[in-house]
Amino acid sequence: MKKIFLVLAGLLLLMAQPVLAAKGKVRMAYVEWDCALASTMVAKAALEQMGYEVETLPVAAAAMWQALGTGNVDASVAAWLPNTHADYLARLQDKVERVSIVTGGAKLGWAVPSYVTISSIEELNAHADRFNNEIIGIDPGAGLMRLSEQAIADYGLQLELVDGSGATMTAALANALKNKQWIVVTGWTPHWMFGKWDLKYLDDPKGVLGGEEQIETVVRQGLKTDMPEVYTFFSNFGWDSAEQLQMVMAWNQEGGTPEENAHRFLKEHPETVNRWMSR
Amino acid sequence: MNIGKLPVGKIIDAGIDFLVEHLSFLTKAGADIVETVLSALERGLLAVPAPGFIALTALGIWLLTKDRKLCLGSIMGLLLIWNMGLWSATISTIALVAVSTLCALAVGIPLGIMAAISSILNKVVTPILDVMQTMPAFVYLIPAIPFFGLGKTAAIFSTVVFSMPPAIRFTYLGIRQIPTDLVECSTAFGATRWQRLIKLDLPLAAPTIMAGINQTVMLALSMVVIASMIGAKGLGGEVWKAIQRLQMGRGFEAGIAIVIVAIILDRVLQNLGTPKQQQ
Repeated sequence: MKKIFLVLAGLLLLMAQPVLAAKGKVRMAYVEWDCALASTMVAKAALEQMGYEVETLPVAAAAMWQALGTGNVDASVAAWLPNTHADYLARLQDKVERVSIVTGGAKLGWAVPSYVTISSIEELNAHADRFNNEIIGIDPGAGLMRLSEQAIADYGLQLELVDGSGATMTAALANALKNKQWIVVTGWTPHWMFGKWDLKYLDDPKGVLGGEEQIETVVRQGLKTDMPEVYTFFSNFGWDSAEQLQMVMAWNQEGGTPEENAHRFLKEHPETVNRWMSR
Repeated sequence: MNIGKLPVGKIIDAGIDFLVEHLSFLTKAGADIVETVLSALERGLLAVPAPGFIALTALGIWLLTKDRKLCLGSIMGLLLIWNMGLWSATISTIALVAVSTLCALAVGIPLGIMAAISSILNKVVTPILDVMQTMPAFVYLIPAIPFFGLGKTAAIFSTVVFSMPPAIRFTYLGIRQIPTDLVECSTAFGATRWQRLIKLDLPLAAPTIMAGINQTVMLALSMVVIASMIGAKGLGGEVWKAIQRLQMGRGFEAGIAIVIVAIILDRVLQNLGTPKQQQ
């Protein structure tokens, strides 16, 4: 016992001194999705260029919103609105502030491999057994799941929505593709699975699964007064186009760390970065 | 007989709100201290280059256990971790587990001793331990955010809650299992309660207490992936990140690293727990 403490005491002696940031520290939370990672890392690199120290925390969606609501993190560039994160926003309405659109053109829907011969949600019942009577979902509590339950009710489907996570959904999809089986999953764009595999969205004639989604920047209440410069940056933050975001996501898929690719973006697109920094 | 739904959830919600209101300034201050200590410990450990660290660890294990196989195995395991590029994540996890375990033991062992002495306290503590060990961690992960913020402190909190019970239970058991004739003997010689504790109870209960410490460390390690959902990073974060992106191999790499760390810690602690045969 004594020996263990001696070893630990020795390690504590090795402690280095904390380094002080030049201008202050910005904490950003994000959900570990590719699009969120790309946006977060680019925002981080730009803020560092402005002289801030930035800490990024990959967390679960509920944790991200809870932390924004309590002011524990300053901002997130990974808020999916109006549908996916609707429940969180409703609860924290007066504690957070929506300041900018990171990218439009995001979409929610049900996706199938392109070799599946149906094209609309309305045809699912007729082939329910080929889909094993299942729709493969993600984390219970995601807005996409709420909308999917709604769709099952509205279309009167005899398929069951299976809870899981983003990871189990893509794993099930990968497995089905390998065996050329029919499968229907709850999906969203931008997501790497559409780049990696040949998938298509099923038509949603009733429009239950929501129209277009967008990804927004949400900051904690009070950032405006505490760090006006950072607040302005986040208010201006956003990709020029969905294609620009897809491009950086593609870089991340090809190789290089997300941090390296973020710096590459800063170098190659100074006009975009200048817009964020309102220069 | 219909009494309607009891407002259990509502009461808990109100309770949490009340605590956030009146207690979070204290826990936040505590969180800052823990954060500082932990990041300093991490920086200190990372300041030692990996090969040096591995050599020091091997030397430490040799001095502690004199077990050649364990030494070689640890060197191989740590070299593999280094080779897989998981060194800094591993150090971060070791620091987190070390701090969590120390907190759990600092509270748990004294509590176990007190429970062994006072049967009333034991009756109070036992059901609380049952709750701590069986309440799903997800339930209190998100509510912990207003108190500890996102990141490592919240992770330490949930890890301590989960891993403290064995330290208490084993300490209690170890002291309770002392043969009565020895206790009578010490009383006959006029030992005070305090003398009996120091000179008889603790030395005889040491192997059992050591087993409890071992269990605490193991449970702390098993929490790392769950803790990564609130921003704990480290090896758990690597596992989570990889699984979210369907990189099975990468997920297993980080998983193997956790196993290696666990086995090394387990063997060393077991070795310390078994009384050595003096030749």
